[in-house]
Amino acid sequence: MAAVTWSQVGGEECVRIPTGPAADERVQTGPGVEVRVRPLLADVAGVLPAMAGDLRCDGEDVCFVPRFGFVDGTTYIVSVAGVDVATLTRPRRDRRPTTDVVDILPTVQVVPRNLLRVYVRFSAPMSEGYAADHVRLVDDDGRELAGALFSTDHELWDAARLRLTVLLDPARIKRGLAPHREVGYPLQPGVPFRVVVDPGFCDASGTPLRERHERRYDVGDDERRRVVPESWALRTPRAGTLDPLEVAFDRPLDHGLLARCLTVNGPDGRRVGGTAETGPEERSWRLTPHARWAAGRHHLAVDPVLEDVAGNSVTRVFDRDLSRAEDQPRDAGTEVALGWTA
Amino acid sequence: MSEYGLRIGTPDVRAAGPITFGPAGILFLADNEAAKVFAVDVGDAGPAAGAEPFDLESVDARLASLLGCGPDDVAIRDIAVHPTSQNVYVSVQRGRGDAARAVLVRVDRLDGSLGVVELRDLPMAELAIGDAPAWEDERVDITLPQGDEGEELKVGERTIRILRRPIRTSTVTDMAYVDGFLLVAGLSNEEFSSKLRRIPFPFGDGEADNNLEIFHVSHGQWETAAPIRAFVPYEAGRSILATYTCTPVVHFPIAGLTSGTKTVGRTVAELGAMNQPLDMVAFTQAGEEHLLIANSNHGLIKIACHDIDVQEPLTEPKGPTGVPRETGDLRGITRLANLNGSHVLALQEEGGRRHLRSLKTASL
Repeated sequence: MAAVTWSQVGGEECVRIPTGPAADERVQTGPGVEVRVRPLLADVAGVLPAMAGDLRCDGEDVCFVPRFGFVDGTTYIVSVAGVDVATLTRPRRDRRPTTDVVDILPTVQVVPRNLLRVYVRFSAPMSEGYAADHVRLVDDDGRELAGALFSTDHELWDAARLRLTVLLDPARIKRGLAPHREVGYPLQPGVPFRVVVDPGFCDASGTPLRERHERRYDVGDDERRRVVPESWALRTPRAGTLDPLEVAFDRPLDHGLLARCLTVNGPDGRRVGGTAETGPEERSWRLTPHARWAAGRHHLAVDPVLEDVAGNSVTRVFDRDLSRAEDQPRDAGTEVALGWTA
Repeated sequence: MSEYGLRIGTPDVRAAGPITFGPAGILFLADNEAAKVFAVDVGDAGPAAGAEPFDLESVDARLASLLGCGPDDVAIRDIAVHPTSQNVYVSVQRGRGDAARAVLVRVDRLDGSLGVVELRDLPMAELAIGDAPAWEDERVDITLPQGDEGEELKVGERTIRILRRPIRTSTVTDMAYVDGFLLVAGLSNEEFSSKLRRIPFPFGDGEADNNLEIFHVSHGQWETAAPIRAFVPYEAGRSILATYTCTPVVHFPIAGLTSGTKTVGRTVAELGAMNQPLDMVAFTQAGEEHLLIANSNHGLIKIACHDIDVQEPLTEPKGPTGVPRETGDLRGITRLANLNGSHVLALQEEGGRRHLRSLKTASL
């Protein structure tokens, strides 16, 4: 008796249902006879819709080509004229894990109590839907800091799905809000914690990570000052050299924003091309030019959206105490530029 | 549909996101991977529905069966109700990673049947909503695409195809259409800000839309920005009521504001600790407008808009937490949509399954 099998038709995956003389006697297909395929779903009562797809004739066989591909490890039931005639399970392909966490950022050892954001960088594109259950904050005894992370169904990825942004719950950091008053900060000064990425976090092929990854941080005091570029120390290069411009900050800045918020313009007003690098602990930045520095006036242009690790930007502090004159926002429309003459 | 600038085409929707209906049965779909909003004519010619409720148990299992996968591979990103037929449209991400597909499913109001809405050769328009990476922007990942994605680049004698993808992205959290404008709230994966984008529809060249930078004050003392999680147009679109990732309900005027304007909203309520607002709708009960908010940890919260109008900005550092509200015992509700004047449609999780259930507005 010819069996219902996984097969291909016209280069597409299908379920092949033989209907010739050697077919299962229950398979009496013909015009008007209904062929349905559905996934086996446990604990569901009632009639469920048939799987979306097309039926194609191939010789004496009927082929079901699904609208959306069959899923590895899933069992499908094939029915003809309302009678179940076959149960097929897609083989599960066990792939060897190859993806790693490249880094957890920031790299600074001591973060402020009001740390807002960490980034997790992966070595290969990842799947969505795992972040909430596989990125955790734990203390040194391995106990999870419950409710420390902002829980959302909107995962924050870069377009390539290589970098995940993880927010600490802003409602617990912002002063004055009920969650802050009732539950308090997610972090405690002097109490170290770890950001843990579990290996169950699957990459885009559905394969777990090679191993667990973590970064341990110490917790310091709050950081609630605006980022003030005028307070940075610049080590400026001489004209005619390929020496880097080095910029030392007064505190660690956000790793993600640093990579796009700083640009150098030369005497002709054009951007100086070069290799930009963020220094250890996100406390510095340097630009090594591709061509020798021109003589004349240069500017380091700072996009005012640049933030530190606690979400304070050049324009404004994360939560502004209206009674503090020094927290007055800086005009968002003005680009900040630090100049020097080479 | 040409009056709305729609042309026959095939929207390349890569990731399922928030959806909302606009004029003439046009559905807006946000795609957070492609950083685009699509407007499509879903061609729903179903008969006009009345005031009856609509319920469908185990909608997640039905979707899984239709899409040929397990319920774990069905992520319901949003629901929207067609304004005339009251058919329910479900924005679903089927599968994960490389296997993930964005699917739009229509649930028939009359018989509860499900069907895939084929997004192929139908009247459509699209608008890029992300800040597209510029050539000189170093903040892009450049890869060699497998297919014909990306763009051609000449390197010496050779022509190669490259794909540039931004590292900075913006995720749409909610959308609403009011009087010729699509309002789009989003969340950045880098800076922490609160921008509401106001995009004219029909879509133009993308230049005319504007960004409103929104702040709110907690207890008269701390002014902050925060990404909007969900919002509803209010006062005929002259203002919005928004809930935040950090729980307050805030009232903002938006009429007459121009691009780049900073506006400070009035915090009218807080929804409590360890809780995320998930969705909200406005509905009418006994002639009075009300707001219904779905929450991650609380039941449904109902607020009378009259109370919002008279609520002074919250100024006391310790309770009360704003306007009077009633917390319903309806739990597990993650999405809300107006079904008709008599019912609000809710996506509710109960007993390990997700169901579509009508909530009678008169009884809320």
